[in-house]
Amino acid sequence: MVPVSQMWAVASYVLRQKLRGRKRYPLVLMLEPLFRCNLTCAGCGKIQYPAQILRKELSVEECLRAVDECGVPVVSIPGGEPLMYTQIGELVDVLVKRKKYVYLCTNAILLKEKLEEGVFTPSKYLSFSIHMDGLREEHDEAVCRDGIYDEAVEAITEALRRGFRVTTNTTLFDGANAARVREFFDEMMRLGVEGMMLSPGYNYSKAPDQEHFLRRTRTRELFSKILSNPQKHWKFNQSPLFLQFLMGKQDYECTPWGNPTFNIFGWQRPCYLLQEGYAESFQDLMENTRWEQYGRKSGNEKCQDCMVHCGYEPTAVDHTFNSWKGFKDTVVATLTGKL
Amino acid sequence: MSLEGWVPNLSEYLTLADVIDQAFDYRGNTTVVKVDGTEVEGYIFNRNKDVLEPYVQMFDVAGNGPFKIPYSEIKNIKFTGKDTATGNSWLAWLERKEKEKAEKAAPLDKGTA
Repeated sequence: MVPVSQMWAVASYVLRQKLRGRKRYPLVLMLEPLFRCNLTCAGCGKIQYPAQILRKELSVEECLRAVDECGVPVVSIPGGEPLMYTQIGELVDVLVKRKKYVYLCTNAILLKEKLEEGVFTPSKYLSFSIHMDGLREEHDEAVCRDGIYDEAVEAITEALRRGFRVTTNTTLFDGANAARVREFFDEMMRLGVEGMMLSPGYNYSKAPDQEHFLRRTRTRELFSKILSNPQKHWKFNQSPLFLQFLMGKQDYECTPWGNPTFNIFGWQRPCYLLQEGYAESFQDLMENTRWEQYGRKSGNEKCQDCMVHCGYEPTAVDHTFNSWKGFKDTVVATLTGKL
Repeated sequence: MSLEGWVPNLSEYLTLADVIDQAFDYRGNTTVVKVDGTEVEGYIFNRNKDVLEPYVQMFDVAGNGPFKIPYSEIKNIKFTGKDTATGNSWLAWLERKEKEKAEKAAPLDKGTA
């Protein structure tokens, strides 16, 4: 479950946007300081670039400017592998001092080493979001390397022992076994992670595996199987309404500006998943992107099967604050654990 | 199919704007041949055709940039760099895993035959 202080920070931010009458506002900045990674996962379309691009990094100043420009309460640092970013300690330290809730999304290969080096300090504002796509067999297959699941478990244990917040992020593809995923949830809870985040994979046109992304109907079937009768000890670090959406219990439209992405190329248009150009400023992104061309209702074929968190979780959060029904559904699901 | 190695022949059926779109989508270095005869090799990461003077943005092979080049200064674009999105690492991984599984299963097959 998301800590109360974080819930309050997000809730008060959303309410402020509504009071100001902002029709479109961002919720989480996806800050990609580099594209370099120490894995080549089958479903990832983020890292296929020439060498000179993979060598490039954003400066801490560029990162902070992006954070200031969009003004979000939550900053997610994916990549690439953010622990390969040469200034990751300094960046996280400054963001925490600015009271931004930081999710450092890592495959955890370098985490134990960084913890031992003292690069990070535990804080309620910092959470390691560990990429875990299932139990050992499924995870190692997803990341195309044996032994990574065990390394990640070791790193999770060490981070928890040192008092850090640890969550997991799991991407599911077609062929996922619901019973095994449920076992995986039990295992993550046994390890002591604070909460889990789930999302179906997106069919990146540049990803090595083009066959196993989930289509919409199959996504709903799979997530219904996984999340029906959830175990009481399972904790999710995301909106329960988004999980209900994945199960087909909520019907949402995408909010492509909800999780804007900033990287070495600038502000990515229109969203974290689609790369249709770059804006020079956040204002340019928000004002000059043809938002009506994206989302399911637009008819854009690239959006038809997408149910990914970066587009739909902001919608779910907005629903919570936009209607009494949304608020009630969120409160009931949060208190009862029923989805 | 990868565009690696492609040198487009511009015509009324293949315009410069089409080639720029393909280069923008290409995950490898390209060589921009300019109207003045000079060439710039690098990665095109952006193109904006919705402005008064459409342009591409790129980093050169040394990582310098970004450079902005107006469409009006471009004669052609050659797809000279390796297409990094056509790697076979995932297929190689699958083949290796299948082989391992087959090797593990082999003694069992013998025993049960």
